[in-house]
Amino acid sequence: MKNLKKYILNKSGHFGKYGGRYVPEMLIPIMEELEEAFYESKKDPLFKKELANLYKNYSGRPTPLYFCENLTKKLGGAKIFMKNEGLNHTGAHKINHCLGQGLLAKRMGKKRIIAETGAGQHGLATATICAKLGILCTVYMGAKDYKRQLPNVFWMERLGAEVIAVETGGQILRDAINTALKDLISNPEGTHYLLGTVCGPHPYPVMNAYFQSIVGKEVRKQIIKQTGKLPDYLVACMGGGSNAMGLFHDFLDDKNIKMIGVEAGGKGIHENDKKCDHAARFQTGKTGVAEGFKSYFLQDKDGQLKSTYSISAGLDYSGIGPQIAYLKEINRIETSYALDEEVLEAYKLLAKEEGIFAALESSHAIAEVIKLAPTLQKDKVIVFNCSGRGDKDLFILSEKFNFNLS
Amino acid sequence: MKLMTHIVAGYPTMEESEKIAMAMYESGVSFIEVQIPFSDPIADGPTIMKANEISLQNGTTPRDCMEFIKRIKKKIKIPIFIMTYFNIPFNYGLEKFCEDASDAGVYGLIIPDMPIDEEKYEHYISLCKKHNLHAIQVISQMSRLERLKALSKVASGFVYCISSLGTTGTRSELNPKLEKYLKNVKRYIKIPLAVGFGISTKEQVKLVGKKAEIVVIGSKIINLYNETATDKITAIKSFLKDLM
Repeated sequence: MKNLKKYILNKSGHFGKYGGRYVPEMLIPIMEELEEAFYESKKDPLFKKELANLYKNYSGRPTPLYFCENLTKKLGGAKIFMKNEGLNHTGAHKINHCLGQGLLAKRMGKKRIIAETGAGQHGLATATICAKLGILCTVYMGAKDYKRQLPNVFWMERLGAEVIAVETGGQILRDAINTALKDLISNPEGTHYLLGTVCGPHPYPVMNAYFQSIVGKEVRKQIIKQTGKLPDYLVACMGGGSNAMGLFHDFLDDKNIKMIGVEAGGKGIHENDKKCDHAARFQTGKTGVAEGFKSYFLQDKDGQLKSTYSISAGLDYSGIGPQIAYLKEINRIETSYALDEEVLEAYKLLAKEEGIFAALESSHAIAEVIKLAPTLQKDKVIVFNCSGRGDKDLFILSEKFNFNLS
Repeated sequence: MKLMTHIVAGYPTMEESEKIAMAMYESGVSFIEVQIPFSDPIADGPTIMKANEISLQNGTTPRDCMEFIKRIKKKIKIPIFIMTYFNIPFNYGLEKFCEDASDAGVYGLIIPDMPIDEEKYEHYISLCKKHNLHAIQVISQMSRLERLKALSKVASGFVYCISSLGTTGTRSELNPKLEKYLKNVKRYIKIPLAVGFGISTKEQVKLVGKKAEIVVIGSKIINLYNETATDKITAIKSFLKDLM
């Protein structure tokens, strides 16, 4: 197998048959400008120094790699470690690529940043860096997500961002991405689209995987220090795939490490012609081209994208990063899914055993760990990415647990 | 000056689409662009986006659209183009799509999210050529010089110039830089230019018609259809005749 780590960050933005830049001509010069700025900055020691400084002193990196001793005992199998990205400033891994792209936008002289958001974590991180860097900020959020992630809307507005609820389509992440792309088409000069995952046209998948790869790099050092060896399994939830790419990237060429990406199983893997009760692209999706890239999409026989469902807004998306689709195709990663009910159980278990609230997105990874750990020997090591903390899910969870907040 | 008008197949129904297409033909337009609806039309503004959505809710499929074109082509003796997004022909099977379009009498394809950079992966332009279809290239005022040169090498039929920044949909003002932009394009592109996006009034058509061979009217006709209470078809006809 070729050097996968390098290949996944390749300059053409194609990964096997996936990836590319399938955008209208109006977006081509914007993507070319961004691509040039990114590859230049990536080589610039000053840029790297500035980013490293922000990672450390602004976001609080390195985030801890925490041994979940109680959970390990409870499940009675492999040792379980959690990469706690929830302890980042703003509460999730999203800040990693926001800091990177924010610095890039500043370097390109952009005066305005736009972003899409599902769970609100990416929007919150974007609004945060815009406040810090003094850049105008507009965040698009599907109207359905806007309602279910209100705490994040509140915080974004406090940071000075304009949050726009998108009323078109299914009113979720996909509609927010579509609307943000249209904003960019209308405002190509002076606006940077801070896309929040490893999807979209080149260079976004490469760029965000690069900025997120800090997660896996830290895990490598931390796990060797704590256990004296590399992990046997890596587990991460997958919406667009940014936290999964972040954890996996550094280990892609360590062939003995198994990697599992967990999709949203929602209410179960069933669907009709237009709607899915889940967002598990690798269960019933197929190859397609939308939102500027070629990858796996949940779509009907004609190629119309289907609406999706998940308890977690961050995983509620019909497409997935092209690098992930490629890694799945060559069997470098495995994929599975967790149902809403399993996710809620996982959320409860982590809180009770370890005193940590995981985001509903990240609880998908925990649900997989709960299934996996008991099947493994005690000397095996699992690292899962707790991509975000659960504070933002207060309203969804209080409803699920029948607790009246008002 | 020639006019190209646009319809979304199946909006609001296939029967109405056929009537609208006939009205356009009878009013003397030179080309018709038939859009096959897609769930995620990223180059389209609210009007056409909504029309896509409604057509899809009605159950319109790409095969229905091919049949539709075949049917109207028997009566309409002007070139018809298919406009859609790449996921549609990709799922249909690109070669089969080109074959069926060609059989239906289609003159060319306009697929905004199929840039020349992906040609080596998709072979879109070469498949169009093989099936005698013009692969219409799109240019924006942001297109760089090298881009214009590259596009000029593969351009066929005409080149579609986006009049101004933004997605499809009516705008009150024409782009003030339009003349300079089109002049620049003409230095590299030696085939006819079509200018579209945001053109809706007689004055705009006249002005653009002096600078380009083809003027494209899209969203305006859908808006006109939606806003006219009775006799929508007559309203479209008189609007178009007035433009000629």
